[in-house]
Amino acid sequence: MIPSIELDQFVDRVMAELEKKLGSPDVSVTTESANSNAVTHSATDSGVVTIKVPQPRWEEGLAELIESTPARIGVWRTGTRPLTKEMLKFRCDHAAAIDSIYGEVNEKLLEQFGLFTVDTCYENTENYLRRPDMGRIITERGMDLIRESCKAKPQVQIVVSDGLSANAIDANLPDVYPSLLDSLTAYGLKVGTPFFVKGGRVAVMDHIGELLQPDVFVLLIGERPGLVSSKSMSAYLCYQPRKGTVESDRTVISNIHPGGTPPVEAGAYIGTLVHKMLEQKTSGIHLDL
Amino acid sequence: MDGSWITSAGIDIGTSTTKIIISRLKLVRASSALSLPRYEIAERQLLYASPIYQTPLKSWDEIDADRVWSIVSGELAKAGITKADLKSGAVIITGETATKANASSIVHLLSERSGDFVVATAGADLEGYLAGKGAGADRRSNQIRGAVANIDVGGGTANVAIFRRGKAIGTVTFHIGGRLIQLGERGNLLYISPSIRPWLNYRGYKLERGSSITFIDLKELCQQLCRSLLRYLSGNASSEQTYEAHTLLLGKPLNPLPDMEEWMVSGGIGKLMQDQAPVTLAETAIFQDIGPLLAHTLKECMNEYSLRWIEAEETVRATVIGAGMQSTEISGATVHLNAKLLPIRNLPVLKLDINEAMFHPPIELGHAVEETLRGSTSLFDSEASPPFALSVTGTFALNYVNLQQLAEQLHIRFIRYFPNSEVMVVICERDIAQALGQALQRRAGSGLQVICIDQIRVEHGDYIDLGEPISGMMIPVVVKTLAFSQRDGGMDS
Repeated sequence: MIPSIELDQFVDRVMAELEKKLGSPDVSVTTESANSNAVTHSATDSGVVTIKVPQPRWEEGLAELIESTPARIGVWRTGTRPLTKEMLKFRCDHAAAIDSIYGEVNEKLLEQFGLFTVDTCYENTENYLRRPDMGRIITERGMDLIRESCKAKPQVQIVVSDGLSANAIDANLPDVYPSLLDSLTAYGLKVGTPFFVKGGRVAVMDHIGELLQPDVFVLLIGERPGLVSSKSMSAYLCYQPRKGTVESDRTVISNIHPGGTPPVEAGAYIGTLVHKMLEQKTSGIHLDL
Repeated sequence: MDGSWITSAGIDIGTSTTKIIISRLKLVRASSALSLPRYEIAERQLLYASPIYQTPLKSWDEIDADRVWSIVSGELAKAGITKADLKSGAVIITGETATKANASSIVHLLSERSGDFVVATAGADLEGYLAGKGAGADRRSNQIRGAVANIDVGGGTANVAIFRRGKAIGTVTFHIGGRLIQLGERGNLLYISPSIRPWLNYRGYKLERGSSITFIDLKELCQQLCRSLLRYLSGNASSEQTYEAHTLLLGKPLNPLPDMEEWMVSGGIGKLMQDQAPVTLAETAIFQDIGPLLAHTLKECMNEYSLRWIEAEETVRATVIGAGMQSTEISGATVHLNAKLLPIRNLPVLKLDINEAMFHPPIELGHAVEETLRGSTSLFDSEASPPFALSVTGTFALNYVNLQQLAEQLHIRFIRYFPNSEVMVVICERDIAQALGQALQRRAGSGLQVICIDQIRVEHGDYIDLGEPISGMMIPVVVKTLAFSQRDGGMDS
């Protein structure tokens, strides 16, 4: 497996070569001070609106439309087919999506935030995809580790899981997690012992809930990757999740990535949600926002 | 809290007329349940429009405050609205009235008496902008490609606001209005405003109070006056003609003049355009001024240009509707607030532009914050608490580390230069206010209270009013902008 970052760089190089040969008619509408070492591989990640239509009849109007959506619109064509560059970009985004499912979360990141790792019964990625139910149960060994290491009955339990995108955790945890901790501290709330779950599904919070009996559970988990972003994260929150908790009892903030729900602000707002759940002693559709 | 309404008032005290409207604004959650909350004003409904009153004056130089207040309170009672109902709105004093000796004190008095968050506004730029929004020029410009100008002509001034793709791109004001020349039905001149003198002198008109003018001559004068304005706006003026237009200018010219596709006329003159054209002096002088004739001459003259004339949605009430219905914005719903400190009115805006390069390492950020805050000590009252609202702009997404660095720099330098301030107000363009607010508050402790809101666009030189929280999540905001021209000086009081 090729790590996604190398593939990105490779495609960028190919595209740069192509541009040199063909001469790019691109008109940059809004240029952002792009981080020089960042790799831009989709419209939303780069934040740069580029009009690819060579002579638009109404440039301003087209720019407005392109800016309004991360979808691939106004990408131009050759004959009836897409441009090679666009095709490569599409395949690159698709490859990145697949890679994030098979990828692994950076160990150093987990160390940095002091997160130990437990496994679910997922066994391997193929099985994880086929058997969602196995991603909802922590292994015996993991359960022992949780019992040993974690504070029982915490006010707030934070758990991080790769879910369907390890990329999402790598990209967003450094922004969401500390911001969430700050917010909880500002509300005067007490956090239990956080850890990382490998191969987790959303409802793994019920199993862990049984074990640790927290008041509010916050699960930061990688989302099913898409073609707009492969590193989108969700925060699932639940008041006293236990065995048999129904999905409507969970509150979710989704699409957390720099091109979607802003990560730092999301972290702060999750703190507000936790505070409201403790106040109202409920979550999901019963929570009054 | 979906579908909640806030009641908003607009009060316009103009050169010749005073009017009030009551409207309600519907707040609706604009973001999905899976995203951060974000509310928008989805609907603006006119509930009540007062009759048009003559603006009560004590003398040429003084507005009659008591009579203005009795009109306002009477109309609020008629509309069945109490002071406590009014959550937003604006009082604006327009045209020549704004130059009256007690104008500023009246507008503040009215705003304070009418409701918790009815704000005082003034200034020809804002007046033109609100009139343009009230007349629908901003919405019209979203339907076509080119720019749309609204010319709001009242008794004393013609306020032009130009919109493109829904956004104001410029305003310019002229001393052209129906009451600048007042006359009897036999053409005897009763009053000639000093503000139109420079133009009259330039054109060689010798009008004196007590002398008379014929209908033909008056019509010719109105034509010259209208063409002077329209030639300038259409961009076809020669340098001599531009000079002529400049004799009518109030404030700065508009440079460069945008290309326009359509224009519309609102204000009292816009309304008079719909009536029968006067053909005699007696028909002209029904209000003892040149209004009706000026209106019809303007209509005729507008046909001489290639711009398309379209009807304004509102005419005589455009400004008051703009003030009441279009002046309020809603902040983002993830913010850092302290309800006890709100509302805060008339806060000048100080701008800090940040970019990503400043953060690698954050030394440059420190310089930028230092420069902005140190420079501001001479601009703002350092005893005021808060002295200003700091607007943080920049289009890149801040990560957690950058955000902490920003909070650190802002906090250190703010307490250094404004040690007496107990409140710090920060306004961000991007959705970062709750995170930045908590980062600032953590550093500030209990001595300094932080208010941090976002998704509001303000520019250096604007004034901003912050209302009381709605559902504890967000606040109504009125931005009193000066961004359309480079005029010096403050906008009110």
